[in-house]
Amino acid sequence: MWAAILPCAVQAKQFAIVADKANSTSNLTAAELVKIFTAHKQNWPDGKTITVVMRDPSSADMQLVLRKLLNMTPEQAHAFVLAHREAIMVADTDDAVLRFVSTSPGAIGVVDLYSLTQDVNVVKIDGKLPVEQGYFLRGN
Amino acid sequence: MIRKASICEITILVVVICTSLLSSAVGVAEETASASTNAPTAVFPLTTKSPEALRLVQQALDLYLDQVEQAQAIDILRKAVRVDPDFAMGHEFLAQISLDSAEQVGEQEKAFATRNHATNSEQLVIEWYQDAADHKLISAIPKMNDVLNQYPHDKWVVWMTTWWLFNQSQFERASAIYERSGITDSPGLINNMGYNYAAMRQFDKAFAMMDKYVALLPNDSNPQDSYAEILRLAGRFNQSIEHYRASLVINPEFYSSQFGIADTYSLMGNQVQARKEYEVGFQKFTLPELQQILWKTREATTYVREGDYDGAEHAFQTIADYAHTKQNSQAEADTYRQMAMFEQNPKQALVYLGKAEAATQEGKNSLKTAISQELAQILRARVEVALKMGNKQMANSNLERLAAMAESCNDKLSELAYHGAAGEVLFSEHKYDEAISHLEEDNNNPFSLKLLAAAYQKIGYSAGAKRTNDTLTNLNDPTLEQALVVPAFRKCSDTPASCGGNTKSAALKR
Repeated sequence: MWAAILPCAVQAKQFAIVADKANSTSNLTAAELVKIFTAHKQNWPDGKTITVVMRDPSSADMQLVLRKLLNMTPEQAHAFVLAHREAIMVADTDDAVLRFVSTSPGAIGVVDLYSLTQDVNVVKIDGKLPVEQGYFLRGN
Repeated sequence: MIRKASICEITILVVVICTSLLSSAVGVAEETASASTNAPTAVFPLTTKSPEALRLVQQALDLYLDQVEQAQAIDILRKAVRVDPDFAMGHEFLAQISLDSAEQVGEQEKAFATRNHATNSEQLVIEWYQDAADHKLISAIPKMNDVLNQYPHDKWVVWMTTWWLFNQSQFERASAIYERSGITDSPGLINNMGYNYAAMRQFDKAFAMMDKYVALLPNDSNPQDSYAEILRLAGRFNQSIEHYRASLVINPEFYSSQFGIADTYSLMGNQVQARKEYEVGFQKFTLPELQQILWKTREATTYVREGDYDGAEHAFQTIADYAHTKQNSQAEADTYRQMAMFEQNPKQALVYLGKAEAATQEGKNSLKTAISQELAQILRARVEVALKMGNKQMANSNLERLAAMAESCNDKLSELAYHGAAGEVLFSEHKYDEAISHLEEDNNNPFSLKLLAAAYQKIGYSAGAKRTNDTLTNLNDPTLEQALVVPAFRKCSDTPASCGGNTKSAALKR
């Protein structure tokens, strides 16, 4: 009798942009985020170097993120990340991304919303948090 | 049957203390917990000044989890928090397993108010649930993960996190937590994970869970009933019926299995047999009012599945009249709304929606939240009917009302109704990217799934379209929405010519 409450397997994913606790930036525009991920913006306002960390760009989750951010096919995105190894770090898991960000001043990462821990700050995009309507990094 | 909540057999770090010793005892508990952090033996603490309250909670959890006695467990938890009104986790357990929404809210408030009597770990759990209740997910999730990181092998923590994530549709994450926990002998957890794997359409794993569940509780009906439901979700209808019948052999009073048989026949397309089975259930069991209405609605839906709209109208009208007599405004409104959904004439559909809205305004014997959610569903239906009539102005004005409601009421179901309606309007305007962002939010609704698949197709995202098509095609849910969308969708997908199209994508057109 409870089948009706069983949710479907299709679920819109939401990704959070995270920074270390000492980072005072609480909001980025989508355009700024794209510049950071394309290595066109490499420093925070306080001068610290930005290091991007994300999971394997060929994973389904990161494909979605890169499609939203860079408007690239999975193959293009993978090649792009490989070509920018000095600016973009690749970690095995969300936990590894969070560990790196929480211990690396200037680091910025992208993780699944449900991986969040209290060790990092969530950065808004265009003034919106992941759960808010119209948030940039959500999709299927 | 998946229980509303289930609690695993837990190992409790006993912290029985006098009030005057509270702070020092809490310190000891916290120290013990943190010293064993991440160790397989780390157990979640429970803090109460009363040995009797602790005993009652243990008894309630055992009843609830392993003996499928939710009502008894709730009664015992109520006693426990009467014995120690400062037992914060006692209140939290009650908030989580109560079937009464007012009690859920009240007990959550009490858990939050008394949390300073508990350890830091217990406080984290209570604050996580409180944040979730307040729709503060960004704050809730880190707390959940921090508790999980402290007690990754504690059955209770594993249950709390996996169940919460299941309800958030985070199935992969829930299964990963379960698999890492190494827990293999908790019937309640096994039952829940069976449904979790089924939701991921990993039916081999789901059936393995059900085999274990049946083996652990061979004299209980619920494992057979759950097995049957999961088989039905997988489309294995004949086996599903066998398990429902096995459940009734164990306990002839387990009425959900009788109605499960009826629902399954209906999904199989055998509406005559389905109605016979519903009638057996109605004759044999005295049902609570809401259950009676639920299965009468399912029975009425058999006529929709047959395309007998006169028969459906008569059956649904009888339910609406019954709900009116019983002064159940929400059920009456919902029935009229459903009548509007299958009504072929848009003008008549608007008449039904008017009656539905009038019933919500009466609001008799219904929670305010339920009435508000129903009104959101009615507005969504109004948008749909307006679009069918080609009346953009009407669609937009109802969408604006719905948007304002969703914005102000902070309720997930109302927000989903808004997303579904907004997606539909945007799709009709050929704004597919914008439509997708809304339709992806309303992913439990067959109408939205159908439009989502079409929108993906329109923007050339064929992987998304295929995945959504597969989800929709395999949706075996005995609801009116499924009846109105899925069988026709399957037929069009299989034989596009039968619905006037030449290609598979034509089947996606509204």
